[in-house]
Parts: sequence; structure tokens; C-alpha cells
Amino acid sequence: MNASSPLLNYVIFLPMAFALLVLLLPGNEKGQIRFIALLGMLVNLLTGIWAFVAFNPSGPEFQLEYRLFWLSDLGLSYHLGVDGLAIALVLLTAFLGPLLVLSSWRFVNERVKEFHVCLLVLQTAMMGALCALDIMLFYIFFEAMLIPMYFLIGVFGSEERQKAALKFFLYTLAGSLLMLVALLCLFFLSGPEGARSFDYASIYNGLLEANREVGLCMQNSASCSNLSATAATLLKWGPWMFGAFALAFAIKIPMFPVHTWLPDAHVQAPVAGSMVLAGVLLKMGTFGFWRYAMPLFPAQAWAFQNLLVALSLVGIVYGALMCLAQKDIKKLIAYSSVSHMGFCMLGMLTFQKEGTMGAAYQMLNHGISTSALFLLFGMLYERRHLRGVADYGGIAKAMPIFTVFFLIISFSSIAVPGTNGFVGEFLVLLGTFRSNLPLWAGILATTGVIFGAAYMLWVVQRVFFGPVTHPANTTLKDVNFREFVTVLPLVLLVFVMGLKPQPILEVLSPSVERYIARVHQARPNAEGQTLPPQRENASLRMYVRTLPSKKTESAHMGHAQAEALGPLLANNPAGERL
Amino acid sequence: MSAFSNLVLSPMLLPAMPASTVVLPSFSFHEFQPLLPAALLAITAMLLMLTEAFSVSKSRSYQAILAVVASAVAGFLAFQNTQLPAGLILNGRGVMDGFSSWITLIACLAAGMSSLLALGFFRQRNAERGEFYGLLLFSAAGMSLLSVSNEFVTLFVNLELMSLATYALAAFWRRGNRSVEAGFKYFILGAFASAILIYGVALLYGATGTTQLDMLYHVLPKALEDSPWLVWSGIILVLTGLSFKIAAVPLHMWTPDVYEGAPTPVTALMSAGIKAAAFVALLRVILHIGDSSAMLLHILCFLAALTMVVGNLLAIAQRNVKRMLAYSSIAHAGYILIGVAALFAGGHLGNKVGVLSATQMANSTAEMLRSSALQGILFYLLSYAITVVGAFGVLAAIERREDDGAPNAWDLSKLSGLATRRPGWALAMALFMFSLGGIPSTIGFLAKLYLFKAGMSAGLIGLSILGVLASAAGMYYYLRVIVYMYMRPPTVTETGIRHWSTEFILAVSAVAVIVLGILPGPLLDWLSQASLFSPN
Repeated sequence: MNASSPLLNYVIFLPMAFALLVLLLPGNEKGQIRFIALLGMLVNLLTGIWAFVAFNPSGPEFQLEYRLFWLSDLGLSYHLGVDGLAIALVLLTAFLGPLLVLSSWRFVNERVKEFHVCLLVLQTAMMGALCALDIMLFYIFFEAMLIPMYFLIGVFGSEERQKAALKFFLYTLAGSLLMLVALLCLFFLSGPEGARSFDYASIYNGLLEANREVGLCMQNSASCSNLSATAATLLKWGPWMFGAFALAFAIKIPMFPVHTWLPDAHVQAPVAGSMVLAGVLLKMGTFGFWRYAMPLFPAQAWAFQNLLVALSLVGIVYGALMCLAQKDIKKLIAYSSVSHMGFCMLGMLTFQKEGTMGAAYQMLNHGISTSALFLLFGMLYERRHLRGVADYGGIAKAMPIFTVFFLIISFSSIAVPGTNGFVGEFLVLLGTFRSNLPLWAGILATTGVIFGAAYMLWVVQRVFFGPVTHPANTTLKDVNFREFVTVLPLVLLVFVMGLKPQPILEVLSPSVERYIARVHQARPNAEGQTLPPQRENASLRMYVRTLPSKKTESAHMGHAQAEALGPLLANNPAGERL
Repeated sequence: MSAFSNLVLSPMLLPAMPASTVVLPSFSFHEFQPLLPAALLAITAMLLMLTEAFSVSKSRSYQAILAVVASAVAGFLAFQNTQLPAGLILNGRGVMDGFSSWITLIACLAAGMSSLLALGFFRQRNAERGEFYGLLLFSAAGMSLLSVSNEFVTLFVNLELMSLATYALAAFWRRGNRSVEAGFKYFILGAFASAILIYGVALLYGATGTTQLDMLYHVLPKALEDSPWLVWSGIILVLTGLSFKIAAVPLHMWTPDVYEGAPTPVTALMSAGIKAAAFVALLRVILHIGDSSAMLLHILCFLAALTMVVGNLLAIAQRNVKRMLAYSSIAHAGYILIGVAALFAGGHLGNKVGVLSATQMANSTAEMLRSSALQGILFYLLSYAITVVGAFGVLAAIERREDDGAPNAWDLSKLSGLATRRPGWALAMALFMFSLGGIPSTIGFLAKLYLFKAGMSAGLIGLSILGVLASAAGMYYYLRVIVYMYMRPPTVTETGIRHWSTEFILAVSAVAVIVLGILPGPLLDWLSQASLFSPN
């Protein structure tokens, strides 16, 4: 049994506690509110680092687990735990937290209290979604993220904010509600009455055998004759369920045709909103694919691989081309997000080691470089309150330090060797060429990199160099101390992650291997999968904490609750598998 | 009250019993136990009427407090009854089970909360009257008795008790035309629906020779063979009459006008209490008249789908918040109908439909499906009652006296900038809107989850998907309220008059929406243990 640790509770709920604290402060004490919020984010960062240090890359799959009874008659439990990818994203989220508060120090001057409460609650929801090991718990946090983000865009955004906020909310909600239905279907499929639960490992393990059968059947129709009932259902309805999951996450990423909410949301959101949206919220989509959609439906993942790859490629190229055409800098960064997230998806869809590793690394990179771009542009916007590329020009003369920062981040974004972006994009491209995907997929993705360099350098040239076209731009002040401190960690990370990626790759690599093994279970004959089925099955299983079967606890529980749990516990004599 | 009067009537209604053998039957005490809350409510109601006649004091706050206390005590008694085993009482005229006790509890909750809302509301308008609280408690007593009725005549009388009191309540605010119009419209259409119901009952009686539901259950299959047209006409007419009360499409037309015109506390009572009571009547009738009929299941599913879709689509077009909530209450009736369909399906047809193959279902008995559907329905009704009373509470609080009768009295723009004018109210309203829309970490999400899960476990996959999509569409108009409160500058400077009772209701509902949405605690266990009397 994995060791239990309450650490993740602190990671998740300390920001919420600080949100309540902020709520109690009087609304006109703006300095105090900002300070408390910053403190909350710093505490969150500390707990995040603590969790990252406590995570042992060579240990079991899920660590720092914590599990409690919660709504047991519904099949839910309060179950937390992180794997390599999740802990890396937790660290990223915790890292961005203080920067969000710092970036809005002067930018937000009205309703300061509500703003910081939103930020802190959002932090809790994001951490919760990353740490949840119960799918329904994940779903609850996943949806709960919408509320603070909705207010961040809708209340604190610019002119068209209401429309953008509504679009963001409804798009995401529609996708995730369909996922909820698929989730309920999975729940019913995952086992006999009484032994079902929404626990991720329980659903995954319950479908393991059926998924293998479906995978065999889809490769070789001769083995379709004697499918088990679950496998037959999964074969028939799996594409729909996978589709529902994929749609929910694709909207979040966002992938090509469902990306239209993103430019609006980014353009209208305040700086911190854009930062957190690009930095963490979009990762929930790729994380969802990685954690849930692919391992739960490996056969369907293979079946949909070409379609999803095509959409990712369209996203990469289309996003980059849209960037070239943008006059609005924020919109440009938003479309560059579409392009970069396309790389993440492409890497994950190679179902191959380098590509997947690159995808995971690219998630972190994108979180750093794109939120840094939004942060830097926010500083410029704070000074001029204009978003057009044409409104600037020759900024480098007035703001040299700022220009250096922006250049470094741009290099990271276009993957110049030595920056973090290079490691990620190189691995993704390498994986694409090595995978079963056609050669032109890799070539097309490479053109995306070239376009990326083109639009980024072009915008840098137009904004920072050349003659000063607007007299107001000559008197702009360079970054002050607070802004310097806000950007510096991101800039340092660009180099640290670019020059010494090993520590993070080491944390990610067990997750990558498990992800690949799980997707490949539906392709037993594919290359590199020579393990005999039984052994493979054993290694594919998920091992998590079971609920404590304390007698005292049963005594406190209601009658029905104990009854609902009875078979659950009885089926797990070893106390290992659930 | 009416159930007691039935004691005297009951021997006459038994066709088998010759007149010479009429003796007053003796009943044991426990048979009256389910009637205690209703009795308490009715006695207090009469007392309130008397205070109005003999009142010497000018202050009338005590009347509201009395009504609240009576509702609370009745609610407590009902809660005590929730553990009762299922069974028939009073010669089969009534039924006792946990389900009816929970509905009584919801009715008491609705009555108590709307009394408190009314306290502040009518105080501001100088229109406090004891009759109001009396009528309100009579209505609650009717709801409670309706939930224990097991015989068509009893059911009809109790339905009328509930409805007549509510007609008067809807028209109570005499100074505005709208209230009178609402009461009148409600009365005419309600009387029409009652007539349809009683006509259907008469046809069923003609075909089967009984009005008692459990006996009907046993003789109906034969009657269906003998005279299918008569029986089906009866069933359709009865269902039509009851559908009117739950405001299912296409019998929803009265809802927006009545909800809008009635004084806001009364609207709260109607949407929270009457809906629950009407659902229990519908459910009981359906369970007894067509336990294994596939046709009826299809009708129910169709009704649910239509109600959800039409309710949500019409709500989207509303600018008037009160009308929007009225249409949304239609949509919510549609969601609950999913639960009713699931309860009714009870595993009969689930095996053939949808994702769940027969083997998946093998271990889940009809019993379990029923209890999970019942739990879903009860939890949904309870959560809807708490949320919607809170939402109407906010509307009652910001309503201005000058606007009475004005066509734009509840226009969205009245909510503009509420977040700066009254941050507490705006926060509460935002919570209620999120809960009605079914966003996680509110009670509304949990309720929808239970309901849709019950629907899916009964094999109603398509209906559940439709429900999910409908609630996504519904989120649009709930969000619009939030947009106006938080993202628009204030257009009116008035903030609405604060009254402790209104604020108390808002605070309690808001806290309940969050706390029960995250940690429902033992509530769901209690609900899952609620028994339902079934004839087989």
C-alpha cells in the first residue's frame, strides 16, 4: 500500500484558506489585500516545492496519496495523489501563483478584493484538478475552475469582456458536460453493482481486460467472436465515449476547430487572467488527454490517432499563419498558443517515447514562455493601454531591459537552442519522425516551427526596433523593481530548463513510460511490445491506496454507506487493488 | 382536515360493503402519525385566521413567526416520520412511507421560508395580514396530505385544498393588477385541470370499480383487456390533470404569468412546495396505474424531453428575471421527470436500451434502481426548493414598491451593478444561479448528478444526454443574471430595503447551497433509505 500523506491537501486548500482571509479584509485596504494574497501564493509555492521534493521519481506511480470517505453511496471518494506529470504541473502552477499577484499589483485597482479571491480560488481549483485521483473529483475541480476564471475575464477584462467570458464559459461547459455523461457510462461499465466507484484506478483496472480484447478485435477481426460483454459494449460505444472525453479536453487545449473562444478570452482577460489561462488552464486539456482519455480508451486512441494528429497539425500551421496576420499583440500571443499546444498534442499522439516526453516538457515550456509573454506585454499595456502592433515601434530605445527580457522569452517561444523551448520542440519533432506517423506529418510540423520563428521575430522587430513612430513611446519608463522581480524567475527558468533538462525529464520519464505502455496495450503486436500478456497486464495495472476498512469508521457511517462499501472492501482482500 | 373527513366517508366509498354493516373503523395511533404535521399546520392556520379576527395589537410580526414556528415543528415531526416503514393507513385511503414524509418536510421548509420572506416583503408594503400566513399553512397542509393520499378522491380533495389556498395567495396582493390577474388565471386553468383529472378518475372508476390506488393496481390489467379505450382515456386524463400541476410542457402555459404576477414569496412557495407535492401525486399514480407498461414509459420520456427543451429555450428569451425563473422551473420539472421515468422503468426496460448490456445490469435489481431514482428525485426536489426560494428571496429583496404592476418590474437591468450596491445579495444570487445551472461544488450539481446517474442506470441514456445538454443551454440565462450583477454598472441607485428575515433566508440558503453541495453528510443516506409504498 502506498504511503499516505496529507501534503496535497495543503497544496490544494491553503490558497482557499487565504481566499477566505482576504474575503474578511475590508475592501479598501488594497495594499493589505495584495500582501495577504501574495503571501498565500508564496505559501502555496512552498508547499508545491515541498511536494515536488517529496516526490520520488523511481517510486510507485501515484505518490503523496490521501484518501477519505466522501459520498460513498455515489461511488466517490476524496482521493488525491500525483504522478510525475502531475507533480511537474503542480510545481508550474504553484510557481506562477505569486507572479499572478505581482503582475496585477498596479494593473487592478478596482474590486481588488474580489480579484484576489478569484485568483486564490482558481489556484485551489487548478491544484485540485491536478491532484485528484477520483475522476468525479477531477471533474468537480475541472468545472470549478470555470467560475473564478469567468469572473476574472468578465469583471476585470477589457471592452468586450462580457461576450468573451460567456463564450469561454459555455464552450467549456458544453464540452465537459458531455464528458460527464461518458464518465457515468464508464462508471457503469467498470464493474458489477456494488464494486463500482469513480476512482480512477478502479475504473481503469476494471476496463483493462476489456480494452485488451477491444484492441485485439480492432486489429484482427477473427478475435471479435467471443468478446466479453464489457468489451462488446466498449467496442460499440467506446468511440462515442472517447469522443466525449476528447471533445471536452480539445476545447480546453484548444485544438483546431474548437479554438475560437481562446483569442477572445485572451484578448479580453486581464494580464493575470491571460497568464493563468495560458500557463495552466490550457494544460488541463493536454493533462486530461494524458491522464484520462488515452489510458482509458487505448483502442479508440489508436483509431482516432490520424484524425487527432491531422487536427493538431492544422492547429500548428493555422495558428502560426494566423499569428502572421494579427495586428493585435495579445491576439497574436493567443494564436501562438494554439500553435504551441498543437505541438503538445502531436507529441502525445506519437505514442512513442521521445515524442511523448517532448509533449510533457512542452506543456511546462508553454506554461512558462506564453505566460511570460502575456506578463511582459501586460507591462507594456499598462504603460500605453494599446494592443496594436502598429502602436509601438522602437521601444528598445526607451526600455532596454524590458527588450532583453522580451527577446529571451521570444527565443524560448521559437525554440532557440539553449532555451527550454528547444528541448521540447526538438523531442516532439524527433518523436514524430520516429513514430508510425507518415513523414509529411513531421515535415508539416517543422514548417510550424519555421513560421513560429517568422511571426515572433517579425513582431519583435516591429515593436522593439526601427524608428519610434509614436512620440509617446519615447518617454516610456523601463521595468521597475517589482516588474523586474516578477519576470526574472521566468527568464531564469527558460535557461535552467533549456540547459539542464535532466532533473525534470527524470521526474517525467516514468509517467511517459507508463503512458506509452498503456496506450500500446491496445496494440499488442506493435513494435516494442514483446511482453507476454499476463505480465504486461500486471505491469499496466494501477496500484493505489484503498479506503481504510476501519471498524470504527463503519460504525460512524450510515447504514447505507457501509452497505455500499461492503462489497467494495470485500472484493479487495489484499487491500492493494481497487 | 380533509383526510379526517375521509374517515367518515370511507365506508361509503367501499363498493363491496353493504350499508347495514357501517361501523366506524378503529385506527391505531401510528396510522395518524403521518398526518400529524398536516394537522399541526392546519390548526395553526385556523389560529392565525382567528388572530386576525380578534387582533387588538397593531404589530403583526408574530403571525409570521407563528407560521414559521409551526412549519418548523411540523417539519421536525415529518423528519421523525421519515424512518416509518411503508404501509397503508386508514383503510387504504392513505399511505405511510418515508417518501411522503420527505415531501412533507420539503413543503414545511418551503412554507417556513416563504413566510419569512413574506414578513419583510409585506411589512414594506403595509400589507401584513394573518390570512396570508393562514392560507400559506393551509396550502402546506394540503401538500402534506397530498403526499400521503392513496385514493383518488382523497387525492383530489387534498389537491384542491392545496390549490385553492394557493389561488388566493397568488391574488393576495390586491393593489396590483398583476397579482389579481395571476390569481384569476391560475384559478381558471387550475379548475380546468382539476376537472380533467376528476373526469379521468371517473373513467378509471367506471372501468375498474375502485378509486383506491393499490386495488386499482391489481384489477387494472384485467380492465385493460376488457375495455382498453376506457382505461387509456382515464389514464391520459389523469396524467394530464397532474401534469398541469407540475407544469410539464405542453401544460406549462400558466406558469410564467402566474409566477410573475403572484407576490414573490408566494412564487417561492409555488416553485418549491407545490412542485414537490404535485410530483409525489404524479409518481404515486404512475406507479400504480402502469407498472409494466412500455407505452407509459415512452410517454414519460417524451414529456421529460419536451419539458426540458422547451423550458430552457423559452427561458433563454426572457429579460424578465421572474419569468426566466418561471421557465427555468419548467425545465427543472423536466429534469425531475427523468428521475420519475427512471423510477418507473425500474429495470423493466433498462436491459434493452443503451450502453448497459444485460450482463451489466444483471446484478442491479429493480429494487436498487428504484431506490436510487427515488433518492435522486427527493434530493433534487430538496435542492431545488432551497435554491429557488433563495433566488426568489433576492428578487423579493430588490423589488421596489413603485414598480408594482410595472411591466419592467423584474427586468434584468434592475439587477445591474448589484455586486457594488449589495455585495452579499449578489454573491448569494450568483451561488443560486450556479446551483440552478448545476455547476460543481453547489448542491444543484450534486442533485443533477444523482438524478442523471439514476436515469442512466435505468438505461435512459439518450434522455440523460439530452438533460445534460439542456442544462448546458440553461447555463446561458443563469450566467446573464450574473453578468448584470457583476459586469454592468448600476442603473438604479436604490438598493432595496433590508429586512432581517429576508437576509436570514438568503444567508441560510446560500450556506446550504455550498455546504450541502460539498458535504451533504448523512442527508443522502437518509434519503436513500426513504421507503416508497409499492403495491407489489
